Amino acid sequence: MSSMVEYRGVYKAFDAPVLAGVELEVRRGETLAVIGPSGTGKSVLLKTTIGLITPDRGDVLVAGESVVFGGAAALQRVRRKVGYVFQNAALFDSMTVFENVSQGIAEEELRRIGRRELLDRVASALEHVNLDPGAVLGKLPAELSGGMRKRVGLARAIIGRPEILLYDEPVTGLDPVNSAVVHRMIARLASELDVTSILVTHDIDGALGISDRVALLDSGRIQFVGTPTELRQSELPLARAFLDRDQVGEDLSAIMGTAGSVPTAV
Amino acid sequence: MSKGVGEGVVATGGEESRPGRLSEALVRLARLWEETCRHAGELALLLWQTVVHLVRGRVPLRSILDEMHWMGVQSLPLVIITALLSGVVTSQQGGYQFTSSIPLYVLGSVVTTSVVLELGPVLTAVVLIGRVGARITAEFGTMKVSEQIDALHSLGRDPVRVLAAPRIIAGVLTVPALVAIADLVGIFAGMVAAQATSGLGPEAFFYGARLYWHNWNIVYSMMKAVTFGLAIPLIASHMGFRIRGGAEGVGRGTTTSVMFMTLAILILDALFPPLFLN
Repeated sequence: MSSMVEYRGVYKAFDAPVLAGVELEVRRGETLAVIGPSGTGKSVLLKTTIGLITPDRGDVLVAGESVVFGGAAALQRVRRKVGYVFQNAALFDSMTVFENVSQGIAEEELRRIGRRELLDRVASALEHVNLDPGAVLGKLPAELSGGMRKRVGLARAIIGRPEILLYDEPVTGLDPVNSAVVHRMIARLASELDVTSILVTHDIDGALGISDRVALLDSGRIQFVGTPTELRQSELPLARAFLDRDQVGEDLSAIMGTAGSVPTAV
Repeated sequence: MSKGVGEGVVATGGEESRPGRLSEALVRLARLWEETCRHAGELALLLWQTVVHLVRGRVPLRSILDEMHWMGVQSLPLVIITALLSGVVTSQQGGYQFTSSIPLYVLGSVVTTSVVLELGPVLTAVVLIGRVGARITAEFGTMKVSEQIDALHSLGRDPVRVLAAPRIIAGVLTVPALVAIADLVGIFAGMVAAQATSGLGPEAFFYGARLYWHNWNIVYSMMKAVTFGLAIPLIASHMGFRIRGGAEGVGRGTTTSVMFMTLAILILDALFPPLFLN
């Protein structure tokens, strides 16, 4: 299986180092979950994928194109291949759901297609994420619930027919039922749209349920990569702390005590 | 003995602290200079990017028109009220200061010149700093902290092209029209006030106004308007894009932006007479 996204020695520091040489390969068509304690740079890593944050050292390759050294044109090509679902959806406040989702289509294409086709595509994207187009098209983001906003954000990410979907904490702030709905949706979209998915999350159960592989990020580096089954069998203390809910507080305290300081939150 | 040691410590500390304070001050000065250069560079880059997008015809016309409506039509009531009051106050204070040795019709010239050269452009700019500039900074700042700017990037949209450029272009096009209206309203209000408070009729008022009038005054007023119309949305956009750190950051950034815009308008205003009134 060829690689779709490659992180090569990605290093990024703000006040303190956040990513300290991340090496990770994401295969074409797989769903990879990146987990790890808060403030370990999971979102930073995701943002380097489409150049929202530029690494201080290292490179990110997306479908063979360098995000860091490829220049503006390459970055633009990479962004067209990627759909990004932001933590709080990042919908444009002043735009309706229809306008928000339309923004997911490249501008040249948007100019080319007619109003009818645009409406059909927006409606289709909304149906993909289980939203009734008739009920939400004319609404502003402020009129939607948190779960609906996330799904509109997802519709905006998929309408441009991306090859890669990046999810930044897609279930944060959602109740368990809605979290499960979103997780099932991510799994369904991955198979229906045949996309490569990278998922940054704190929801371990959800992540293990839908991902092909899991990467554990801590202290600025990938500490573990493997299948959910391999993670469950792992003896790595941090992995155990994540998996064993009853022990989570004690184990994390023990890990922080032995492994030294946890990098500063970004 | 202990006194001697104590004195020694104090003396050493004093000697060490002076160069310490000096180096600290130098470091602070260097940081201020660095920050000023960074602002200047980023402002120049933002202006350059706007010009490039404009020349390439890539700035959405619809957005420019929307911004012109918002900056122009919706600011009109406040601009008119400000101009009215400035004309009235100038006329009343001018009339109060005139003695019998100065003919009263000179008041027409004082009011007209003050309004056209100074009060019209500057007070309109001050109104727009509060109404337009603060809103642009707060809007962009909120978009920044809620990842909407990142979302634009991820969707292949350049925030400068879709957000900043329409506002900057609209500012350059709209502010001269607002200043022209403010000039006319200010002169008219000054004339009415001159009649009401000093008994100076419209004919005498305009006689005085014509006596010392230069057509260059209009060009000068419009040049100021264009400059302020560029500076306000440019600084506001730049400051908005720099905001970090949630709601508190937006509040802090907007306050700083208003301060910078006000300072910039006053400095630019001070540069105009030596450059263009000689």
